[in-house]
Amino acid sequence: MKTITLQIDGKPVVVAEGMTVLDAARSAGIEIPTLCDSKEIKPAGACRMCMVEVTKGTRKRLVASCVYPVEEGIQVVTENDRIVKNRKLIVELLWPSWTALGKSMGVTSSRFEPGLSECSLCGLCVRYCTQVAKKNVVYFRGRGIDRHLAFVPGSENECSSCRQCHNLCSGGWIVTHQGTVEAD
Amino acid sequence: MAHIQTASSIDIVVVDDEESIREGCRQTLEGEGYRAMVAKDGLQGIRMVEEAKPRVVLLDLSMPNMGGLEMLERLPGIDPRIVPIIITGYGTVDSAVASMKLGAFDFIAKPFDMDQLLDVVNRGMSRWDNLAPVATTAQPNPKPMPSPRDLTEADVLLGGLEVLEQYQSLGLNAQSLASKLANLEAEANHHANRLGQIREAEKAVGSLVADLKLVDGIIAKHDYKKNALIQILLDIQASKRWLPRHLLLWTSRRLGVPLARIYSVASFYEAFSLVPQGAHTVQVCTGTACHVRKAPALLSMVSSLLGIKPGETDAKMQFTLKTVNCLGCCALAPVMKVDDSYYGDPSLKEIKAVFKSLETSEGTNA
Amino acid sequence: MPRLMSPMDLEQMRLQRSAHSRLDQPRICICSGTGCLANKSGECAQAMATELEKQGLSDKVELRRTGCYGFCERGPVVVVEPDNVCYLDVSPKDVVEIIETTVRKHEVIERLLYKDQDGSRVRSLDEIPFYRYQTRLLLHANTQIDPTSITDYISIGGYRALAKALTEMKPQEIVDEIKAANLRGRGGGGFPAGVKWETTRKAAGEEKYVIVNGDEGDPGAYMDRSLLEGNPHSILEGLIIGAYAVGAHQGFVYVRQEYPLAVENTMKAIEQAREYGLLGKNILGSHFDFDVAIHRGAGAFVSGESSALMNAIEGHVGEPRPKYVHTSVKGLWDKPTNLNNVETWANVPLIIERGAAWFQSLGTKNSKGTKVFSLTGKVRNSGLVEVPMGMTLRDIVDKIGGGMHPGRTLKAVQTGGPSGGFIPESMLDIKVDFDELWEAGSMMGSGGMIVMDDETCMVDTTRFYVDFLAHESCGQCVPCREGLRQMLKILNRMSEGHGREGDIELLEELCDLLADASLCALGSSAPFPVRSAFKHFRHEFETHIREKCCPALVCKELIHYEIDAAKCTGCLICKRECPTEAIFGAAKTPSKIDQARCTKCGNCQVVCPAKFGAVIKVAGAASETNAAFIGGQAS
Repeated sequence: MKTITLQIDGKPVVVAEGMTVLDAARSAGIEIPTLCDSKEIKPAGACRMCMVEVTKGTRKRLVASCVYPVEEGIQVVTENDRIVKNRKLIVELLWPSWTALGKSMGVTSSRFEPGLSECSLCGLCVRYCTQVAKKNVVYFRGRGIDRHLAFVPGSENECSSCRQCHNLCSGGWIVTHQGTVEAD
Repeated sequence: MAHIQTASSIDIVVVDDEESIREGCRQTLEGEGYRAMVAKDGLQGIRMVEEAKPRVVLLDLSMPNMGGLEMLERLPGIDPRIVPIIITGYGTVDSAVASMKLGAFDFIAKPFDMDQLLDVVNRGMSRWDNLAPVATTAQPNPKPMPSPRDLTEADVLLGGLEVLEQYQSLGLNAQSLASKLANLEAEANHHANRLGQIREAEKAVGSLVADLKLVDGIIAKHDYKKNALIQILLDIQASKRWLPRHLLLWTSRRLGVPLARIYSVASFYEAFSLVPQGAHTVQVCTGTACHVRKAPALLSMVSSLLGIKPGETDAKMQFTLKTVNCLGCCALAPVMKVDDSYYGDPSLKEIKAVFKSLETSEGTNA
Repeated sequence: MPRLMSPMDLEQMRLQRSAHSRLDQPRICICSGTGCLANKSGECAQAMATELEKQGLSDKVELRRTGCYGFCERGPVVVVEPDNVCYLDVSPKDVVEIIETTVRKHEVIERLLYKDQDGSRVRSLDEIPFYRYQTRLLLHANTQIDPTSITDYISIGGYRALAKALTEMKPQEIVDEIKAANLRGRGGGGFPAGVKWETTRKAAGEEKYVIVNGDEGDPGAYMDRSLLEGNPHSILEGLIIGAYAVGAHQGFVYVRQEYPLAVENTMKAIEQAREYGLLGKNILGSHFDFDVAIHRGAGAFVSGESSALMNAIEGHVGEPRPKYVHTSVKGLWDKPTNLNNVETWANVPLIIERGAAWFQSLGTKNSKGTKVFSLTGKVRNSGLVEVPMGMTLRDIVDKIGGGMHPGRTLKAVQTGGPSGGFIPESMLDIKVDFDELWEAGSMMGSGGMIVMDDETCMVDTTRFYVDFLAHESCGQCVPCREGLRQMLKILNRMSEGHGREGDIELLEELCDLLADASLCALGSSAPFPVRSAFKHFRHEFETHIREKCCPALVCKELIHYEIDAAKCTGCLICKRECPTEAIFGAAKTPSKIDQARCTKCGNCQVVCPAKFGAVIKVAGAASETNAAFIGGQAS
């Protein structure tokens, strides 16, 4: 298999072609915070927590490392002031869903009013249900600021025999809210 | 032959020359807790009735030694409260009508099943109860009900003389007729209700089948392609004006696309409605060009006229009010669209006239 | 079957039909675009047909229902040939007179002509200032043909560029020609179309696609609608040429279902092109096969993003893909896909027929050709205009648009839609050019150009854009969904008089996040209108926060209506016209407004006769004592 060499935080890293920058960093022991990532599920680039700065030639930009494929010769910076500022703001926007993570970053409160619910719509449950369990029970309903989780009607049996998504829900939102969410 | 029981203990006498019928009836009736006796012809039947004073008599029309019609004529002389029910092998209208004229409570046509029998007997029993509001058990020697021969004054007043003669010829009195009518009416209502329910159900099934056929047609038009999902939903929406759940379920089955995906798509786009819509759709454009030309004022005006907010449908299901991001008629801003007609910067008067014309046309349709 | 087997067949048909298009033939052209149809042009056309029949002129005078003329504000537009007389605001009751006077006697009906600002009447369309300053390369054909007739299109030289491309040019030569012309995408970003084509052409794989993006979601813009409705074949022709150039055999036209006429006319055009052998197998005997399907968009602004649009065509939710691979390499079903906007495709036949050098001669250094704008908002003449790149905004607004309404002053021109910005009056001399607009803090966008006057509140307008984007975002990524939610909340409270110190800075922080971290261009360009408003109109935001006041008297919570007792004569018109019955009073005594019932729709002010002008908008919410007092009296 073809390999790719890139630099992450100044360190040369050699990985297989087709990997993402996030995986490459992890393989080099560099941690990048994520909220919507899980090993067995395809990345969605939803939370943008994993953003890193990629320099390719003269072009420098912020990308979501979970979906950015490794490229020969690129330089990746996993943390700088701008990245940290953005990550903090993301936690603040999702407050109070990720307070522990926030505290580790020095965020202890939010300047914003609460959003639609405490579910941060990371979509792990939806992706697990569609891609892995293939049950197609939980889905995203609506668009924009009205987007929320919903279950297809009559899905109780499908769910009671599975419930694997519960382990993926770090906020535990789906565990407590399944059944109370509109089934339609 | 069965031992003749005491008068007070017999409920029903069955008179029929066919043994299988009368025995079958007896077993069924006894199975229901009734006390029944059987007779093989009219003569035997009359005697048995005289002795046993049953509440209901089931009698065959054509029998040797006194037929059913004759027996029917004689029954009121024995006890006017007896409820006669005809068993007819002819099942013809003529014999049924004739027997009804002679005071039969109802008839049952051979062949009949036991449920039918029980149904008619039960009704006969409750008829008897109605005719005899004072329970015989409470009054050991009840005053017999007036026979047609001694009609009361009230009966005369109630019926008029001509009618009276008819009553008499039919062997009836005003009271029994009134209660017979009430009974028939109740029965008719019962059947009308049932019929109504069945028709409703039939209609619902019919429209369901039509809906599913419609969806099938639409899916076929799009060659059963999964990627045509949005186009298919648009076509369903155009025909039904909303996306009922059963049609989404059907689309999911027919197209092999998970329902969850259909719901994601249907809830994502502006064009789809997941709740029923009013007969008319009123859209107020809130695109930028309209916004700067006072679309908010237009919207507030339309909203107060219809008494609903954007996204809502009025209680009469006449109008659904929606906002739309741009209708592309920016030069006419602010724009209102009602069904397929556009109105550029309409005045309150114009808007009122449009709504009114639609309300009226709705009224004439209804 | 009139199947055209070769370029020769096409040319023969053109010659046959061109007599039909001669201008010296008696003809009535009536605009049948959505704008004019809304103004009853359908009824007018019907009345004309009936009247021509009645007068026995049906065979002698052609009645042509054309595409959009662009001057929608003054529609229905009617042009009578051979006298070249243009009538505006025509109504069905004018029809008999037009036929009697202009068609029969070749005389002009003065009152239906355009009236210039000096009061003089203008006879022909080209002399009307609205048209005189335009360069209508794309829009001109709209007015020449019946869009539902392929032979009309062929008669004016349609599909000749396709014949040339298929027989005289190699695919690479076509790509080179488009590159040389420097045709930049008309959908918003201005990316060079030729470069995109080349990428798709060179991308690995046999299966490739081409797409027309007609998901014109930009509110306040309708260029694409007009082209799809008025001249769908020109877009198809461009698409077929592009397909041949990049090596695609299947194309899609994505049209918003909100444009029913555009859908209908495009569908008809596709069917006719198939019938004539311009789509399908062996097009014009060239051995090139290509077909097109139509996909109706179901109403989502974000579906205009290329990867979202492809998701939708695949039958998925139309949300952008979180990928960093261009759709020109991995697009529809992960195959190389070239997607261009409607207007971009419409330019292609012109470039192929007249050459890159000709196209290069129009416009500025890096922006070539013309651009169609929908000039709307608070301008005197609004409509669809096409100008060469490089014309100044001021010329567009003043010369073509006829300037502002009397008594009003221009505050800003908004371009680029929800991803664009505001150009304040002081900067109006900048040129219409991809780069100049970008440098001015806005962008070309798809062509929305909304004129705002002193009665426009920038806080309200910014709030409007953010509200739009918050609901039109797909909602996948946190910065866009949650960021816009909070931005909307902040702007809402500002316009309601509850803004706080620090709100502007908080909005700026959120703008940075959206620009940096959003998944797609909707999110990353969402800060544009906000930043642009801050840059040029920051004081308006500060006034809303500090003084709880809306200087333009727009923000509902910060104003109320009053009736000036000194001016009101008690005519009671406003009382009758109030939709919420909030006005009370007796005849001949000054009326009053029950502030509790008033929804501030402003209709009373509209209907109050100008000679009285008794209804006034007043800054500040209705005071509580006032509202209670009046409310108490009313009940």
